[in-house]
Amino acid sequence: MGDWMIKGRGLAPGKSRGAAVVCDQFISPLGEIGRDGTLNNSNCQGMKLPGKIFVFKGGKGSTVGSYVFLDLKGRGLAPAGIINESAEQMIVTGATISEIPMVDSIPIDIFYNGDIITIDGKSGNVSIENVTKKKITTVYLMRGDRLLLMKRSDRVSTYPSQYGGISGYMEANENPEQTGKREILEETGISDAETVAEGKAIYVRNNNVIFEIYPVLMVTSMERVELNWENSGYEWIKYDSVDKYETVPKFAKTFQTFLPVIRQGKLQQ
Amino acid sequence: MKGLQLTRDEERIFDGEKGEPQKVAIRLLYSLGELGGADRLIPIKSAHISGVSYKNIGEGGIQFLRKMMTKVKVPTSLNPLGFDIENGGPVEIDQNFHKKQMEIIDIYREMGIMESYTCTPYYFYNKPSFGDHISWAESSAIIYVNSLIGARTNRESGPSALAAAIIGKTPDHGLHRNDGRKASVIVNVDSELDYTGFAALGLYLGPKLNRSIALIRGQRKASDLELKAFSAALSAVSSVPMFHVEGVTPEYNLVSDGAEVINVDKGSIDETISKNSSKEEPELIAIGCPHLSAEELSYIAGLVKGKKKVGPDLFLFTSREVKENSKDAVKTIENFGGKVFVDTCMVVSPLSNSYGKTGTNSGKATFYLPLSGYGNQKVTFTGIMDLLKWVIG
Repeated sequence: MGDWMIKGRGLAPGKSRGAAVVCDQFISPLGEIGRDGTLNNSNCQGMKLPGKIFVFKGGKGSTVGSYVFLDLKGRGLAPAGIINESAEQMIVTGATISEIPMVDSIPIDIFYNGDIITIDGKSGNVSIENVTKKKITTVYLMRGDRLLLMKRSDRVSTYPSQYGGISGYMEANENPEQTGKREILEETGISDAETVAEGKAIYVRNNNVIFEIYPVLMVTSMERVELNWENSGYEWIKYDSVDKYETVPKFAKTFQTFLPVIRQGKLQQ
Repeated sequence: MKGLQLTRDEERIFDGEKGEPQKVAIRLLYSLGELGGADRLIPIKSAHISGVSYKNIGEGGIQFLRKMMTKVKVPTSLNPLGFDIENGGPVEIDQNFHKKQMEIIDIYREMGIMESYTCTPYYFYNKPSFGDHISWAESSAIIYVNSLIGARTNRESGPSALAAAIIGKTPDHGLHRNDGRKASVIVNVDSELDYTGFAALGLYLGPKLNRSIALIRGQRKASDLELKAFSAALSAVSSVPMFHVEGVTPEYNLVSDGAEVINVDKGSIDETISKNSSKEEPELIAIGCPHLSAEELSYIAGLVKGKKKVGPDLFLFTSREVKENSKDAVKTIENFGGKVFVDTCMVVSPLSNSYGKTGTNSGKATFYLPLSGYGNQKVTFTGIMDLLKWVIG
């Protein structure tokens, strides 16, 4: 195990290292951060920010909120760093005038409370200590208006018995398309899959592993599927009914990013 | 991401070679520029600073100002504070508040910032022209000068406008560019609105627009005063930086293709007004948020001339310059029994030290005054004629 680095957008310069405090909410510093640096948001009540890397969705509320960070900094109670999913002016202003390094454009659900994080507010680099990265390709394979869902067998190491696409670890020097075609052949026997679109990498945290997942939309004309040990079943479902199945993390949400392409009718081979 | 490119001189400032305040200032502009997608800093003609009242900025604010102590590079005006400096009022304040407030004022004066103490600097102290790039804070003034004058500023905060004043530049993004000034929503209003109607339209539209620029249709007779009321109310309850009014404002032709359409009827306006009114008899009638113009002051003087005040107190708020040049109107209002304050207003003064129920025609004050822990008022929001009925026997 080592450190894992992700690049966001650097918004307030400086470097720092500390334990993560994660609050999956928009925060109004005026009213929701106490004078002692304790969170007063109903979903994250009592979390302590001094010296920590404060991870939250973004800011909301009064522009006077910028001064809350400065006041904390002046009394040695400020967080050591700030990570937002999507930043706005008030938090950035507060971080900058208080000289707290800040980065945004990072999915905050990859952080656990207590993770040791290093943040560089100029380059935008953020790293988590003691995690392993695994690169994966997930194929969304379609035939007409049908999407192929694979039921993962109970012999796989992650998310057994849940539905997903055709997934596999990327081997060194493989790109997502190559991994995708190889896995399709192994898991289904389908040999004519063609790429329609590739999505941006998404990240899923599972204990000490971070999966960096490359989604690919492919099409086939073949209906017949021959399963191997990795899956215990499959279904060709109507593509807009994916929400009705219990799928692996972020599977359905990532599929939504392909909907514009699908609706433009680009699936015909 | 290409990112914001600093010139060699700007890099030196960034690295702290020109001093600590300049370093903090340019780093803030750099960060906000990155956030907004700017590729450079551009020169500005003026700045306007909010974050003056001790009630708003507190100890953190004072620390920030001390850290930023240096001369500003462009003409810079200042927002109202917690009380009328020369005459006192509108409410009793404790010694500590007074001391802290004067400390803040002294720092700003030391930096070379105008002693304007008004949220309507565009009447006299700081008048931008069409196309000027400026860096202004104070939401009601930002939206007014963008929309009615055609000057160009993003919605800056106290710290970012001060940073721009120190460097003399601002990041080139958002409202500084033509693309950032286009309406993405068209609002059709089915009947002609008066001053209070415009304030109510602002409160009604704010949550619907969120941060979108709107083109208002059906209000070709809107006056500057009515649009001032609309500006203040809309920007208090949203992040909207600008609007256009068909046939009235200078850039109303800037509309995006495929703009969304919202229809507003008279019923929604009336409902907004009644929903925001507690209906209880106020202890105080407060008018002048934003600060009154000379025209408004003489209009009110005309309504109360020769009469004697009964019932609640009547407080009017304006700038020093307007008061100075409206001596007759001020005298008439004082003879009636009302008071005219400068430097401050009902929102930034600690009104709840003396009052619990306030009547006002301001949509902006109607949003801020009821907030618990801030204004702590029961508010009656209604037109000026109805407000004056409480005090004219």
